[in-house]
Amino acid sequence: MRILWFVLSPLMALAVGLFFLGLSRRFMARIQWRVGPPLYQPLIDILRQFTQKSVSHGPLFDLGVVLSLASSFIVVLFMPLGGTAPLSSSGGLLAVLYLMLLGPLGIALSGGEAANPNVSIGISRKLILAVGYEVPFLMIVLALMTYYGTISIGEIVAAQRESASAIASFPLVFSGIAYLLILPAMLGVRPFEVVGAAQEISSGPAAEYGGPYLALATIQHGLTMFIGISLFVNLLWGGASNPVVFFLKMLVVFAFGFWVNAAFPRLRVEQAVRYLWRWPTLIAFVGLILVATIGR
Amino acid sequence: MDRNQLMKWIKAPTKMAHKYSLNAVYFCTGCGVIEVPPTITSRWDAERFGVVPTATARQANLFLITGYVSVKTLRAIIRTYEQMPEPKYTVGFGSCTINGGMYWDSYNTINQLDKYIPIDGYIAGCMPRPEAIFVAVTHLWTLIDKDMADGYKRYRKNYAAYRANQEMILGEMEWPPIFQTEVATAITEREG
Repeated sequence: MRILWFVLSPLMALAVGLFFLGLSRRFMARIQWRVGPPLYQPLIDILRQFTQKSVSHGPLFDLGVVLSLASSFIVVLFMPLGGTAPLSSSGGLLAVLYLMLLGPLGIALSGGEAANPNVSIGISRKLILAVGYEVPFLMIVLALMTYYGTISIGEIVAAQRESASAIASFPLVFSGIAYLLILPAMLGVRPFEVVGAAQEISSGPAAEYGGPYLALATIQHGLTMFIGISLFVNLLWGGASNPVVFFLKMLVVFAFGFWVNAAFPRLRVEQAVRYLWRWPTLIAFVGLILVATIGR
Repeated sequence: MDRNQLMKWIKAPTKMAHKYSLNAVYFCTGCGVIEVPPTITSRWDAERFGVVPTATARQANLFLITGYVSVKTLRAIIRTYEQMPEPKYTVGFGSCTINGGMYWDSYNTINQLDKYIPIDGYIAGCMPRPEAIFVAVTHLWTLIDKDMADGYKRYRKNYAAYRANQEMILGEMEWPPIFQTEVATAITEREG
């Protein structure tokens, strides 16, 4: 059964990630009173990009994209997607925390080789934004690990199934609110779209990607969205007993994220960091203190 | 539009993907910049046909040049065109790209854009309405279907002639020829 999940969960992440990419375009179009592209438009785009010829800027340019994509797939293996996670016995949340940083790092390595100023600005913004949301995120994860006394995502999900889900229980509700506040930053959507700002820095780190590179970067973007949302569903909303319920829960969180995306304009990078280090950090810190003092 | 016909996708997936995923670089040289924003936003919504603006040339496969082209702009246009990954399609928007339009005797604009980069199709008018962009896109679909949108192949084949034309108007160009032809080799040798 576990062997099956090794194959199934990356495939599911890929399909759902691509579906989310298409749905986000459709969703935004409907909010703006447009018809919008068909749901399978990302598939057409990726097919087109894979059949285009593109230039490479060096070996690191090729390997960075692959590294980022591979690390995203490995993070997916740690997630119980409405079942058991394929890598549930090894590392858990701590490994996920490290591996999640490899995604942007791979893109940074790859883009650095291209020596395009827009790419460099995009990468520095990505790292600044990551510092912004990693602080509250670490506090949330710490609060969860302290509360449930485990680093395994599967055990956290199981513990939530016995009692209420974390976001509905008293001290952890603060962590849940803090996660919802940093979710747009983790997904990289507005108001935190500072990294891939198309009008400002020519889509940032992806500026030098064309053809197959862009296709891989698009898939990686879809996986990043999948990971950010599925972490919320697993850690704070009690996971799910089967993949279908899990997917429905993810859809609700996704709709919240893209509602924020449609409603707010883009912040400047220093405004984004100021926000992230003020309200989400404060709420996450209160949650952590409460968990540490009151406990279970 | 045959985007929903599964048999065509099975028969020629590449061609269909190139048809229905046109990521465009809009090169707004002066006029024409008014027509493009309504086309890509809520009023006309080009995204439902898969036509999306992109920020960089590397991600694009449709090059839309609107309005007159001055000599300075031509340099940027050529660079942008050469950076785009193949296959790539170009559309000239407005009379000025066809024959110079009302600027045909101006001292600093070029008259025929087709001399410098290959153009797959033109939209006539001064200025055309945004609907004309959709007409152009549907014509481009037909051309891609019939393998007639082969501007990038013509550029490769006749690169020497294009480069000579470019050098005639721009003088010294600060980047080497991108394709190795006999003339290109000669240029490289001349410049050492």
